[in-house]
Amino acid sequence: EDLRWKMPVAFSSNLPGLGSPSAWVADNLTTASNGSIQVRLYEPGKLVPAFDILQAVSDGKVQAGYTWIGYDQGKVPAIPLFAAVPFGMKPWAYMAWYYHGGGHELLQEVYANKGFDVHAQLCGIIGPETAGWYSEPIETLEDYKGMKIRFAGLGGKVLEKLGASVTMMPGGELFQALEKGTIDATEFSMPAIDQILGFNQVVKYNLFPGWHQQFTAQYMLINQNEWDKTTEAQKALVEASCTAATTRGLAEGEYKNGKVLETFQEKGVQADQIPRDILTKLQQVTHEVLKEEAAKDEDFKRVFESQQEFLKSYSTWAKRAYLPVDMTTMDDSQ
Amino acid sequence: MPEHDHNPTLYDENATIVGEVAEASLHHHTELPQTSASQKLDQLLIWVGKSASWLWLATVAVIIWAVIGRYAFGSGSVTLEEWQWHIAGTAWLLGLAYTLATDDHVRVDVIHERLSIRAQARIELLGLVVLLLPFLGLALYEMTPYAISSFSQGETSQSPAGLSHRWILKSVVALSFALLILAALSRLLRVTALLFGFPKPIQTHDNKRKAA
Amino acid sequence: MSLEALFVIGMFATFGVLLMTGFPVAWVLGGTAVIWTVVGVVAVEQFGANLWFDYSSSMGLIPERVWGLVESETLVALPMFIFMGIMLDQSGIAEKLMNNMVKLFGAIRGGYAVTVIAIGVLLAATTGIIGASVVLLGMLSLPVMLENKYDKGFAVGTACATGTLGILIPPSIMLVLMADRLAVPEASVGDLFMGAFFPGLLLGAMYVAYAILRPLLQPRIAPIPDDLPKISPRVIWDVIVAVIPTAALILGVLGSIFAGIATPTEASGVGALGALLLALVSRRLTLPVMRDSLHQTTRTAAFIFAIFVGATAFSVVLRGLGGDRVIEEALLGLPLDPNGIIIVILFAVFLLGFFLDWVEITLIILPLVAPVVQSLGFDLVWFTILFAMCLQTSFLTPPVGFALFYIKGVAPPEIKVTDIYRGVVPFILIQLAALILVFVLPAIATWLPSVAYQ
Ligand code: NA
Ligand code: NA
Repeated sequence: EDLRWKMPVAFSSNLPGLGSPSAWVADNLTTASNGSIQVRLYEPGKLVPAFDILQAVSDGKVQAGYTWIGYDQGKVPAIPLFAAVPFGMKPWAYMAWYYHGGGHELLQEVYANKGFDVHAQLCGIIGPETAGWYSEPIETLEDYKGMKIRFAGLGGKVLEKLGASVTMMPGGELFQALEKGTIDATEFSMPAIDQILGFNQVVKYNLFPGWHQQFTAQYMLINQNEWDKTTEAQKALVEASCTAATTRGLAEGEYKNGKVLETFQEKGVQADQIPRDILTKLQQVTHEVLKEEAAKDEDFKRVFESQQEFLKSYSTWAKRAYLPVDMTTMDDSQ
Repeated sequence: MPEHDHNPTLYDENATIVGEVAEASLHHHTELPQTSASQKLDQLLIWVGKSASWLWLATVAVIIWAVIGRYAFGSGSVTLEEWQWHIAGTAWLLGLAYTLATDDHVRVDVIHERLSIRAQARIELLGLVVLLLPFLGLALYEMTPYAISSFSQGETSQSPAGLSHRWILKSVVALSFALLILAALSRLLRVTALLFGFPKPIQTHDNKRKAA
Repeated sequence: MSLEALFVIGMFATFGVLLMTGFPVAWVLGGTAVIWTVVGVVAVEQFGANLWFDYSSSMGLIPERVWGLVESETLVALPMFIFMGIMLDQSGIAEKLMNNMVKLFGAIRGGYAVTVIAIGVLLAATTGIIGASVVLLGMLSLPVMLENKYDKGFAVGTACATGTLGILIPPSIMLVLMADRLAVPEASVGDLFMGAFFPGLLLGAMYVAYAILRPLLQPRIAPIPDDLPKISPRVIWDVIVAVIPTAALILGVLGSIFAGIATPTEASGVGALGALLLALVSRRLTLPVMRDSLHQTTRTAAFIFAIFVGATAFSVVLRGLGGDRVIEEALLGLPLDPNGIIIVILFAVFLLGFFLDWVEITLIILPLVAPVVQSLGFDLVWFTILFAMCLQTSFLTPPVGFALFYIKGVAPPEIKVTDIYRGVVPFILIQLAALILVFVLPAIATWLPSVAYQ
């Protein structure tokens, strides 16, 4: 019996890096399995609202889903650690922890502990988002005081602690709010995606690095019963396809962002770096927030400690091993 | 200039309860006799809906507070943003059954209005039994576990600064479908009262006029 | 014909027939969804039909989809604008505004209609939620127009069509969704907002032209009020004084968006408060008026949200039965040669607009055709705006014309659905004419985005 999976997704499948792996996985699974797993992708809003994909998969209403699992923070407090962490790992470091440091297994446990019947598979990752679009340059920490900013997730909580007025206004109102000055700043995603929302057309300060989201991970969620039905061969295929999609998605974002940033610069967008002292302060507050979260939820604490454990030895390697970026190109002007 | 007499509020207030249907509503509503059970049900549903109506003022207040707060105090507004749709959602959800009780859900009257009251009642009977009640039944059947799982998960907002206790509003959704079922049943009683004389219609000014 | 196509046609036919019985629209939508869920389940389980249909991924998703409506922050604007409209109506301010504006346009037949359109265009710049603008315009204008012996179709058609401008003139959720689905930098949200500006104004202007010209040809549809004073400085002054409060309200709402004080959703709350204060100042705000207005807001919001609930059930079942695929295949089966491809697509969208709402059409078709259109070298902003204009029209085309339902819900009882159908036909023709204009003169859509953000 062939498996038929309906797979709602959280992002348009034509959004580079963020959505494109979902379409690739759906096609690849259907083709590579010779039709023994047929996946039909449902664009956002067609079947299940993005925020409810986990619930619908867990209840078996749909067999699979593809989403940024950070949306499930309200149901599974530990989830942000698997989705995007402020001052978190670089994408490949996250992959190292996920595949080899017990991350994958922890994720299954975290879902099961909260009563969800899903098998989760890392199935897409993108590099840093930008730290947002601002109408004024950020020079001191004081600049965040009273700033009206749209900022998601734990990063938003950090900015709130620094005195910003953080909103989560609906995506549909963002462009206009930024244009009219209802908000002073917003973050959204990486440049290749932000340009679609037109932020570069209304404000000119684009901040880096994206401290709040160094990696952003998407997962394929599969209903546990459905997963149990699969043969070993099919399981292997799902894992292989998702691993490939993760690599390809990361590659796509990395490939495109530079070009997009260049066109921003041609149009007068300032791609500024957040000053080091501000970053340091943001990091301190982030650590406070993460500790608060860890105190609230046992799983959060466990996952956080596992990641920290990995990072301890990883940083021994990472801070020595990589060349500074300006030494990896032949262009002297860098 | 006189107050225009076709303002909806002038005729649908209480009309269905006491049966004193104003002239204007003859065009607009399928008129059905009241029965003692349906009258009590309608009273309850209308009371709930009218009480919920005051939440609109609360919605206005929260929005204004959010706007002022952002400028005057530079304070975060994620919580207030969520309060807005929590309050507004509660109001319209609880209003669904009220609107059914006052028969204010929109109809396409191209053919409908040319039919006799009995023919309209037959359509209403079929519509209630074949369309509305099965739909509401399924919706409530699905909505209940949805609200319960929110409760057992201790679901909160996805936003760290948002509201907790999502199960409350999700229960209001389930409740709103339960109330809609009551409203539909009440209407069903009124339809059968007209068509089959069961349950016994209450004599009202309106019915007397029709009988005459 | 495939089983999927058969089912999809069957589902629409069921809806169309049941709609005509006069049972409430919302429940016909929901009930049709249940009936076809049963058909789908029986077909698959009893007859082994090769469909991807099952109960749990169609009707079973009702909670998730209804919750999606509840947690929509944007939709909070809907009841707020309704409350604003009811408050203005109940307090007599709306009537005063309309009657005074007409003193100025007195010599023009159709002065009330012109006023409605002017208010409607301003309103369109504050909200993109058609339910809100149609209902608000209907409540403000229909009683006055009917009192002045306007033709019912003319009056209701004007209010209804003008109310749909909101989805084209920014802010527009539709354009944001389109940019998201297109996902190309050449058609960002900003480009589409700018691109829709002049076509929106063009439509407003064409509506005004119609509202002036048609009564010239057919004087009886828009009589000139007989107690009209001669225009003198005194009259103009009176009008200004009378109009100031309402004008201030509208400008306050618009202004709060443009000055960046409030988002469109928040502006709806600002407007609601403003209307409340106006009623208070003009000493019309008694407790009964307040109570009635709130009650009526609930019933009006509830009937619109009920339609949303029914429609979301309908569309998820339609999708489960393979509606998307049927439409996609039909569209890809069209002769898509470069010459005339745009016309063929737009015509298909126009026809689909009779049956599907804009969200469905955008989700299903736009991503399908946009790459083709772009690869042939057409301007994507231009194409998308044409697409958007077709979708705006879909609100007016029966049987699934949501603006028609909304206006029916608030129209005085003597207005029948047939009056509404009759009234919107000229506006559908105007839409087509505007579509042709933008098609022939792409600069209407493409000029502003090309200069706006340089
Ligand atoms: Na608009
Ligand atoms: Na239509």
